[in-house]
Amino acid sequence: MSILNVRVAEIEQVTDVVKHFTLVEENGRPLPRFSGGSHVVVSMNINGRIHRNPYSLMGSPENTDSYHISVRRQEKSRGGSVFMHDGVKVGSELQITYPVNLFSLSKLGKKHILVAGGIGITPFMSQIADLNRLGDDYEMHYAFRSAEHGAFVEQLKQMCGDRLHLHIESEGQRINFQNLLSNQPLGTHIYVCGPEPMVNALLLTAKDLGWPKTHVHSEQFLAPPIGESFMVQLAKSNMEIEVPGDMSMLEAMEEAGLEPDFLCRGGACGRCEVEVLECDGALMHNDHYLSDAEKASGNKIMPCVSRARCQKLLLNI
Amino acid sequence: MQRGYWIRSKPLYDSLVWQTPAVAHLVIAGGEGGIAVLKLFQQMYPKDPIQVLYTDLATANKNYSDILQQIVPEELELCDSEESLLNNLEQRLKDCTMGTHFYVAGSEAFMWHVLQKTRAAGVQDVDVQKELCGTLARPVYCVHCKTITRDVHHNVFPCSNCGRHLFVRDHFSRRLGAYMGVMVDAEEPGNIPQIEEVYP
Repeated sequence: MSILNVRVAEIEQVTDVVKHFTLVEENGRPLPRFSGGSHVVVSMNINGRIHRNPYSLMGSPENTDSYHISVRRQEKSRGGSVFMHDGVKVGSELQITYPVNLFSLSKLGKKHILVAGGIGITPFMSQIADLNRLGDDYEMHYAFRSAEHGAFVEQLKQMCGDRLHLHIESEGQRINFQNLLSNQPLGTHIYVCGPEPMVNALLLTAKDLGWPKTHVHSEQFLAPPIGESFMVQLAKSNMEIEVPGDMSMLEAMEEAGLEPDFLCRGGACGRCEVEVLECDGALMHNDHYLSDAEKASGNKIMPCVSRARCQKLLLNI
Repeated sequence: MQRGYWIRSKPLYDSLVWQTPAVAHLVIAGGEGGIAVLKLFQQMYPKDPIQVLYTDLATANKNYSDILQQIVPEELELCDSEESLLNNLEQRLKDCTMGTHFYVAGSEAFMWHVLQKTRAAGVQDVDVQKELCGTLARPVYCVHCKTITRDVHHNVFPCSNCGRHLFVRDHFSRRLGAYMGVMVDAEEPGNIPQIEEVYP
C-alpha cells in the first residue's frame, strides 16, 4: 500500500477533547487530490507497536498544500487517539495512506442532507466544499452535546450560511429524524456520520419511511474492540499466531510480518475480508460490512475489527 | 446467449410486488403491461396512497383500459398515448416525495422511456420495480447512424433509417434504453446470416 510521509505543520485545540492537525508533505510537495468524504489511515508507533487509525480529511479537496484531520480524544480505547493528542507535536513526522473514499456524495443526487453527531462532522467538512463548488442543494444538520463541544461551528457557519442547522443537546434540541426525512423531494440523498445509536436511529427511520437503501449513506469507523486473546492458524502462510486482547487480528498478522489487504481498518469497507475454513467456537463479528446472513453462515470474517472465541480458528490467508 | 456466459448490461426483469414500507406508490403501465397491474391488485395491497397511470398501445396484442377501470380501486388515470402518459408522469413526479415506490410494466421500449423520466427526477433505475410483459421485442440502437428502431423481433434486421443489416446484441444502454445493433455484413457485404424471429 502506498504511503505518504507527512509532517505536522500546525495543531489547534478545537474543544477540550478535539485537536485539529494540519499535515504537509515532508518535502513540501503537493499532496494527492481527493474527493469529499475521503479518509486516510495514520500509522502510529506506540511503544514499538504500530497502530493504524482512519481519520476523515476535513480540508477542501482543492487544497493540495495540506491535509486536515481532527482527532477526538477517546480515553477508553487502545491509545491511538491519546497518542495523537499527547505524543504528536508540531514537527512530528507521520506516515499516512493515500486518501480513500468510502463516503462519497452521490453524483445522481438532486439534494443532499448531511447529518453529523459530534466528531462525525469531519467527513462533511470536505463534502461541503465539494457541494459549494458544484452549487448543489444541501442541508447540514449538526448535533452535539453542548455549546463547548460544537467543534468547527464558526467555520461551518461561514461555509454553509443558512444551510447549517445546529442541534445542541444540552439545550434540549434533538434532530427529529421523522420530520427531517418526511416530505423530501425525489432524488434526495441522506448521509449520516456519528455515534452508533444516532446512525442506527436514522437508518431505521429512513427504512420505515420507504427510503431506498441507495439514497441512505452512513459511515462509522469502529475502533477494534478489546477482547480475550485467541490463537489463529493461517492456512496459506502456514503459521499460527496469537491475537492479544488489545490487538486486532489484522494487527496481529501485520506484527507477524504479513501484509494483508486493508483500507478502512474500521469494519466498513470489506477490503480485508478473509475466508474462515474452520472454527470450533464462535466468531464475534463487529463489522458493518457483512450482511446478517453472511455473519450467521460463519464463512467470512473482517480481521480489522472482528474476533473469535474458540480453540481453533483456521483462516484462508 | 451462450451457456454460462452473459452480457452484464442485459437487464433482467421481475414480477411486480408491492414494496413496503412506503409513503405512496406510483404504478405506470402500457399495453400488455396492464396484466402486471392486475396481478398487483391480486396481492394484498398497501394502505398508502396508490396512483396508476395506464395507456393502451396500438402495438399491443391486448389492451387493459376497460378491465383496469373496473379493478383498480382508486386513482387510475387512463392516457390516450404513450406520449401523453409520459407528460402526465413528468408532472406527477414533481409532487412525489422520497418514500414513493415506483412500478413499471410493459414492453422493454415502453419501460425504458418511463425510466428516463423517473431517472431525470432523481430516482435510480434499480429502485424501480420492472415487469416485462407481452413481447420480447427490442428497441435497437444503430451504432452507425445513431437511430433507434423500436419493436425489433429478429436477430438481424434492416435499420429503419440507414437500411444497414444490423445484428442485435445483448449489450444494453440504460441511458438510451436500447440494445446495440451492429452492421452484420460489414466485412463481407451481402453475407447475411439466416434471419430468425428470436424476440417474438
